[in-house]
Amino acid sequence: MDHLYIVSYDISNAKRWRQLFKTMHGYGEWLQLSVFQCRLGRRRMIEMEAAIGDIVHHREDHVLILDLGPAENVKPHVHSIGKAFEPVRREAVIV
Amino acid sequence: MAENPDLPFIPARMLNEYVYCPRLGYLMWVQGEFAHSADTVDGKLKHRRVDKESRQRLPEAPDDEETIHARSVGLSSALLGITAKIDLVEGEGEVVRPVDYKRGKRPHVAGGVYAPERVQLCAQGLLLREHGFQVDEGFIYFVESRERVGVPFNGELIDETLAAIDGFRESASIGEIPPPLEDSPKCPRCSLVGICLPDEVRFLSHAGTEPRPIYPHTENGLPLYVQSPRAYVRKAGDTLVVEVEKEKVAAARYGETSQVVLFGNSSLTTPALHECLAREIPVTWLSYGGWFMGHTVGTGHRNVETRTVQYRASFDEEACLKLARRLVAGKIANSRTLLKRNWKGNVEEISPTLDALRRDLRNAFRMRTLDTLLGIEGTAAGRYFENFSGMFKRDENEKIPFDLTTRNRRPPRDPVNAMLSFAYAMLTREWTVTLAAVGLDPYRGFYHQARFGRPALSLDMMEPFRPLIADSTVLMAINNGEVQPDDFIHAAGSCNLSEKGRRSFIAAFERRMSQEVTHPIFRYRISYRRLFEVQARLLVRFLLGEIPNFPVFVTR
Ligand code: SF4
Repeated sequence: MDHLYIVSYDISNAKRWRQLFKTMHGYGEWLQLSVFQCRLGRRRMIEMEAAIGDIVHHREDHVLILDLGPAENVKPHVHSIGKAFEPVRREAVIV
Repeated sequence: MAENPDLPFIPARMLNEYVYCPRLGYLMWVQGEFAHSADTVDGKLKHRRVDKESRQRLPEAPDDEETIHARSVGLSSALLGITAKIDLVEGEGEVVRPVDYKRGKRPHVAGGVYAPERVQLCAQGLLLREHGFQVDEGFIYFVESRERVGVPFNGELIDETLAAIDGFRESASIGEIPPPLEDSPKCPRCSLVGICLPDEVRFLSHAGTEPRPIYPHTENGLPLYVQSPRAYVRKAGDTLVVEVEKEKVAAARYGETSQVVLFGNSSLTTPALHECLAREIPVTWLSYGGWFMGHTVGTGHRNVETRTVQYRASFDEEACLKLARRLVAGKIANSRTLLKRNWKGNVEEISPTLDALRRDLRNAFRMRTLDTLLGIEGTAAGRYFENFSGMFKRDENEKIPFDLTTRNRRPPRDPVNAMLSFAYAMLTREWTVTLAAVGLDPYRGFYHQARFGRPALSLDMMEPFRPLIADSTVLMAINNGEVQPDDFIHAAGSCNLSEKGRRSFIAAFERRMSQEVTHPIFRYRISYRRLFEVQARLLVRFLLGEIPNFPVFVTR
């Protein structure tokens, strides 16, 4: 069952920041500066955690993964001021 | 001990799987099946990190010549018929101990280690003994809790290990897959549950209990369709980026992509293709009009047994006829249901047709040859398409935006025929990808005869789904106004969807594929996309003789 996650990170080193930024695109949508929105199943979540763990420095950096709950049929309680918050959907990409 | 000398050595880690569940061992080792689950991904990632970390803690070079400390030791024995790669061998002189790394914490069971791990370790010990060492015990190192648990190699464990080797060799050499476990808590966590279909097979082979909905909920991705003629797909990190005239128009994450579908002359770079192959994402190539031209997959499926039973059955007339009857009957039944449910006029108008279709359906089961069966199918299709327009929504003037008088193809001459042809092409592609993914050969069928370049088995398998997926997508697209008369291009007597029309139509098709239905036999809810896979796997189970009949999917 997919869950919706917000991943936010605080990385002290510019190189690692870029590396994580690039990697995170493989797991979710870029929301704001150091914030991503991801929709993941258990297996993908484990993969993402491992990928993040490989990049960050465990004493200097800090990554938060917030679980907003099951992605299907649940409206996350998010207050968004300014632009609207749209939960990532899972659908086929058609170009 | 070894009754079949041609049998390769059993790897000790496969012995582990066999002791966990004999069927799992067979699927993995004999049939070469593999699938990742959350647990196996976790295991792989943990093991990788341990290798890195432990290297710092445990010195590689022994300081004393007498001390043995060897990593990744590969050993085999013709006598035992097994082989192993041992994580670590340590000891002094002739006395050594194998050490095996396991993810997770030490389990709270007697002895601190589960039976499969104990047997695997003991097999490693027996191999070391074969090679002249004295081995009385081994250790399992639990990565997460950083604990070493000792396992003494007593007579009981050795007997158990030898019995497992014998049992495994036996079923591998006679080629008989062990039955699934009965209602076991192991199955929901088993990475091969979707291939094994334990509850489904039990249920269909002898009235077991209703299948648990384990399979429908495993994770999978969605397709990426590229149909814009100037599109260019390249790899950017872990994503596929689609550009049109140097401008990024879309992106799809590799980890969430199930297949890449390319129309016409849209292109894909070699690095992007390599990544698809590495991740086992099939790439299908279609003509501009959506005709299936072929697909690119990695080295192909390893399960030879599956293809062998498929070919064998395909040369057996009785077996072909048996399957063909069910497929045709399924198609007629589903067409009838669609017509009944979506009929917009009076019930009386359509009931003679529904009755006639029911007769056709019964007749299909009586046919003795593929030719006469084809005749019945044609008659039923005629009745059905004559009434197809009766399922279109009417406006206030009782008008419909499109009409269908006759079914025509190559080329389709009107919008409805254009959509039907396109939908069937999509369905053929979907089935070809699914069948290839489960290890079947899409080009060798039972009902449709092999003809050059025609994926006969895909055509067979899609029969019951023509009304359910293709026709109903056409209905949906028309009745919801998702395609309009100006979404078509007419040229020289033929009619085709425009680029924009095709995009909306593909979206409708995908929505249909994601829709969930209650499985009429298993009772759980499942998306059509998943269902295709289940049907393909059940065909394999049928061909292997594990279930007496192939259950064609028929909606209520
Ligand atoms: S699903 Fe169950 S029966 Fe099938 S291989 Fe896995 S553990 Fe064995």
